[in-house]
Amino acid sequence: MTTMTPDVTDSTRAGAPVMTLRNVQKYFPIKEGALQRVVGHVRAVDGVSLDIHRGETVGLVGESGCGKTTLGRCISGLTDPTAGGIYFRLSTEDRARLDSLLDTPPEQLSAEDKAFIDRIDRAHRIDRMSPEQRRIYRRNCQVVFQDAFSSLNPRQLVKDIVARPLRVYREASGHELTERTVALLESVGLGRQHLYRYPHQFSGGQRQRISIARALALDPEFIVLDEPTSALDVSVQAQILNLLHELQRERGLTYLFISHDLGVVRLMADRIAVMYLGEVVEQGTVEDIFERPLHPYTEALLAANPDINAAPGESMRGLEGNVPDPANPPQGCRFHTRCPVATPICGWEVDDAVQWLTDQARLFDTLTAVERLSEFDATLVFEDEESAAEVAGRLTAGAVPPPMAAATEAVEPQGQRVRIRMRPVERVELEDLGGSHLTSCVLYTSRRRDVDPGYTTKLTAE
Amino acid sequence: MTASAPTPPQVTLDPAPRVAAVEDLRVYFQTKAGLVHAVDGVSFDIRDREVLGLVGETGSGKSVTARSFLRLIQTPPGIYAGGSISFWSREARDTGAEPIDLLEIPDSEMLDVRGDRIAMIFQDPGKALNPALTIREQIAEVFYQHRSAELLDGLDEERSWIIRRAARQQSRALERFLLKLPPLRSKAAKLRRRVDEHVAAALAETQIPNPKKIMASYPHELSGGMKQRVMIAQALACNPDLLIADEPTTALDVTIQAKILELIRQLQEAHQTAVLYISHDLSLVRQICDRVAVMYAGRIAETGDTEVIFGDPLHPYTRGLMAAVPSAAHKRGELTAIEGAVPELVSPPPSCRFHTRCPFATEVCATIDPALVETNETGHRVACHIYGLPPGAVGEGPMPSFERRTR
Repeated sequence: MTTMTPDVTDSTRAGAPVMTLRNVQKYFPIKEGALQRVVGHVRAVDGVSLDIHRGETVGLVGESGCGKTTLGRCISGLTDPTAGGIYFRLSTEDRARLDSLLDTPPEQLSAEDKAFIDRIDRAHRIDRMSPEQRRIYRRNCQVVFQDAFSSLNPRQLVKDIVARPLRVYREASGHELTERTVALLESVGLGRQHLYRYPHQFSGGQRQRISIARALALDPEFIVLDEPTSALDVSVQAQILNLLHELQRERGLTYLFISHDLGVVRLMADRIAVMYLGEVVEQGTVEDIFERPLHPYTEALLAANPDINAAPGESMRGLEGNVPDPANPPQGCRFHTRCPVATPICGWEVDDAVQWLTDQARLFDTLTAVERLSEFDATLVFEDEESAAEVAGRLTAGAVPPPMAAATEAVEPQGQRVRIRMRPVERVELEDLGGSHLTSCVLYTSRRRDVDPGYTTKLTAE
Repeated sequence: MTASAPTPPQVTLDPAPRVAAVEDLRVYFQTKAGLVHAVDGVSFDIRDREVLGLVGETGSGKSVTARSFLRLIQTPPGIYAGGSISFWSREARDTGAEPIDLLEIPDSEMLDVRGDRIAMIFQDPGKALNPALTIREQIAEVFYQHRSAELLDGLDEERSWIIRRAARQQSRALERFLLKLPPLRSKAAKLRRRVDEHVAAALAETQIPNPKKIMASYPHELSGGMKQRVMIAQALACNPDLLIADEPTTALDVTIQAKILELIRQLQEAHQTAVLYISHDLSLVRQICDRVAVMYAGRIAETGDTEVIFGDPLHPYTRGLMAAVPSAAHKRGELTAIEGAVPELVSPPPSCRFHTRCPFATEVCATIDPALVETNETGHRVACHIYGLPPGAVGEGPMPSFERRTR
């Protein structure tokens, strides 16, 4: 993992860190057969590092299946990450030291360093902290879910739903409990008359208000908002967004705002992290992301987003292809399979050649096997020699995307077999380009000197 | 369109012929709470080769209106309480024949219209496709149902009823067995190949790479965008006169959504089909529709050309709706929200349906139902007392702006 330690002045400006994520991974096993043997893993979140500071709103955007909700669930403690640390209220100094230790290989750590890591884990790391710490963390981290229809118990009265956290933490009882519940309902625009009703008696917007009241009950520091308005109509969405902003201003809340709607995130967030297939591909302030997007995926998202103020024909350009399988994500930059400005060093692999072949109707039917030595080196076996020769010819003759052809080091036809070797590429990492604008696109990171000059049109303009 | 922009000379002297005309459509639902007026007096036209957008929030009756075209509302609990939907097919327009009333024709005639003259794309392609059938079988069904004569062309010189029934997918078990035996086997294979060709052509039109591979797969093997392409291929297979798209991209990601919309627009131009596009997303409607009708609580609030509606919305609801969409111009916490929620539609009193949420409501709004009246602009109609009351005052003086409310 590369270091991405923000300088101290930066963090004091935005407030002390509330949540610190370091290389968080969440894999879900794929089980098969009668014995439920694990045959692979869906990499829902694959190495995310992020800092959330007090009083700010961090927007997490991405398409469905990119892992944004899973990341939100990890941060709120609803599910434990497979690897990596999520730290609550880690001070800036401790964070700096931890970052340097996490970068060192474990065998080089001294006993003192190990003791430090252990102490930090017990005090701050949410899946390893002591029960007392965990209680503090739990009160201070609440969630508002997307679907207010399924996140409220249909058999409980509003009074019970909203008062539940207060009761669990023995904050109040009896008359005081009722009064505090009423105060909470009033703070979200509902009132005493709603206490003795069931969730089904409310509209979608009101239900979301009840969810927010429940989240506010213990006066938390940090709230994960998981698509809080995507089930609502625009007119109601506007009410809820205004309410969330007002509550943040009054109570100094910190939000993680998860959404697929760029317009909403632009309005609500201070900083934005863009996710694609389990990874954060770009991170920066709202201005960075919307005015100076760097990663081609961010650009594609912005281009595809319909804008109500745009005249017809101005906006909305789509992306070719499909989101790759998260159980077997592409090498290098995970976006390279759909990227309009891909370069030869973006991670072209044998699977890309096979994927290209599936669209060549007749030739794909003659493919019988793929024998892999590595992701970048494999032999394709065909039914007959002609097909093998034709595929080999096409792979070199420019029928494939130019960056893929440039990344192909060797195509060796031998009878029915074609051996393909691609240039091996390391995994891409987020890099800070200054001003806390981070991207993983090779066109901008330290790897750009390796980029073939033919593909540097955007760089030269810079 | 801003007021200062010079309006191009209008060439609307000869408007395109109508494909469908909805007149005072009323669809009610019988529920325990009473009679829900889901669609309550809706009138609009769809003209040839245009994309008409029907916009509205949840419960505004836009989907019910669309489903009424194909009589897909279950009765009971649904009740077609009044009105008519006239439909002119291409032949009817060419020959100048009378339109058919989609609410009145017998079910047997409706079967010929559904999927052939009027086709529909549904919101969730994952649910609208049959998970137990391959893509080939699902699209082939359209051809068996509506194009059996074309499939048989040159195949049934001897007028073999078994083949004819096979081309309509009506074979019984014995016939299916006979089709496997020598005298009929070659013909059955030929019929199958012909269907395959039609299906592959329909899929290829939606820019699906390698249609042969897709034909053999089941819906769960395809991505959401691909499934929606299959739905579009199925809908356009018989070259319909009217395509109804009910929120076709709501279940899709934005990058895929842009591609699907582009495809619908391209195919609409290639097939010269009229499209009724239903959506809750104003930004999308602006991008792809020629004309827009805004629905609220079972009524049309405002209708007109897209640029007129978006450039100069008149109805307070339309204005509120547009102001509520977050954009770069908004400051945080200052979104213009429409207060309250959509009213109950159980036996509504005669009143403007929006008056409970309208910042400009007066006493007259609570007692008299505003009619959809023409403004000074051609084709721009609005149902609001602000414009209905003194005649001729329309467009004079600025309308009071929506006040900013924080909650």
